[in-house]
Amino acid sequence: MSKKSFNPDVDVVEWTGTHRPYDIIKEGTIALVVMSLLVVLLSALFSSPDDRPATLRQWSHSDPVDFANTAFSELNGSSGTAGYGQPYNNTPNATQTIGPLALQRWMGVHIPVHPAADFVLATLATLPDSPIISAALQQWKSSSNTAQFTWMENFAKVTPTFSAGALHFPPVDAGPIPVLMSGLTSMARAGSLDQSLLGGGSNYYSTDYTRPLLFLADGNWFSGLAEKQHLAGDQWGMMNETGSYPGQAWLWLYTFWYQVPPFSASENADSLIWGLMMVLTVIMIFVPFIPGVRSIPRRTKVYRLIWRNHYRK
Amino acid sequence: MQPSHLAGVINLDHPGHYIHFHWLLISYGNAIVIGLMVATFVAVLFLPFPGSRLKDSHE
Repeated sequence: MSKKSFNPDVDVVEWTGTHRPYDIIKEGTIALVVMSLLVVLLSALFSSPDDRPATLRQWSHSDPVDFANTAFSELNGSSGTAGYGQPYNNTPNATQTIGPLALQRWMGVHIPVHPAADFVLATLATLPDSPIISAALQQWKSSSNTAQFTWMENFAKVTPTFSAGALHFPPVDAGPIPVLMSGLTSMARAGSLDQSLLGGGSNYYSTDYTRPLLFLADGNWFSGLAEKQHLAGDQWGMMNETGSYPGQAWLWLYTFWYQVPPFSASENADSLIWGLMMVLTVIMIFVPFIPGVRSIPRRTKVYRLIWRNHYRK
Repeated sequence: MQPSHLAGVINLDHPGHYIHFHWLLISYGNAIVIGLMVATFVAVLFLPFPGSRLKDSHE
């Protein structure tokens, strides 16, 4: 049996030099105290980001036409949420893939969202003492699919305006849609839509913001806010913070991929970049087992710089 | 922005400034933090360990 050759990356020579006591508890305590003092000091100096939350109420006041257009896209099924696929709905061919792997679709619909019903129709039905809205809802529900489709086709051709606190529509044969859109906009401006969409509208103390956030994300106003704060995906937004605060600098590599081809132009960017980062993470984990890469610390000799007193001897 | 009772001494709740170079877009805040991290790394490479002179003399 031949003797195994010495591998400097794997094999260790037994230490025969002097030993020195090292108090790791003391070292850790000093580090904890210093870090705690730094946290308190920096918190007092800079506080933390304090941007006002974006709400449906704020949106409907700032840009009521964009709100109404988005509400209509929820009703006719052309919104981003309606065509998102899993986990919200089963829209065919909507999900991102990594080659043949449809990870998003495999997760299934575990947060079912039906934009027309959840964001518009069921929400308006919660309005008390509103005979006009109730009649419009009744007309919508009792009409045929063909009639609804024709109304939506006609309504899509007009552009609403907003003045004197109300939406105005050019004359159009759109059935109850103008009333529904005006009703939902008024509801949002009053602030009750935010509460109604929270946690499906059934839980007063809910912190489930899924539906209001999806609705917000479908409009142009919300993405405009993000772009102003450099938070959009093509602005390295993942590592940015509101205001002048430093953000998540450690996400630089993740957000970097979104800025360069082919990812910047890919409809599967999220899935592809996630897959790439998982591969890179696995490579990082297995660095000690990768010949050549594991030799880098030994060859660069940075450790000799840190322990220079020892190696000088 | 709403003033807060818990606002810090230095208010950073105002629009940030960004360095834009070709495809690179980075906020001054992030650039400063990354610069401090690199400076800390270089410092620990070259600064002597606290008390290392004392310990070395006992060896």
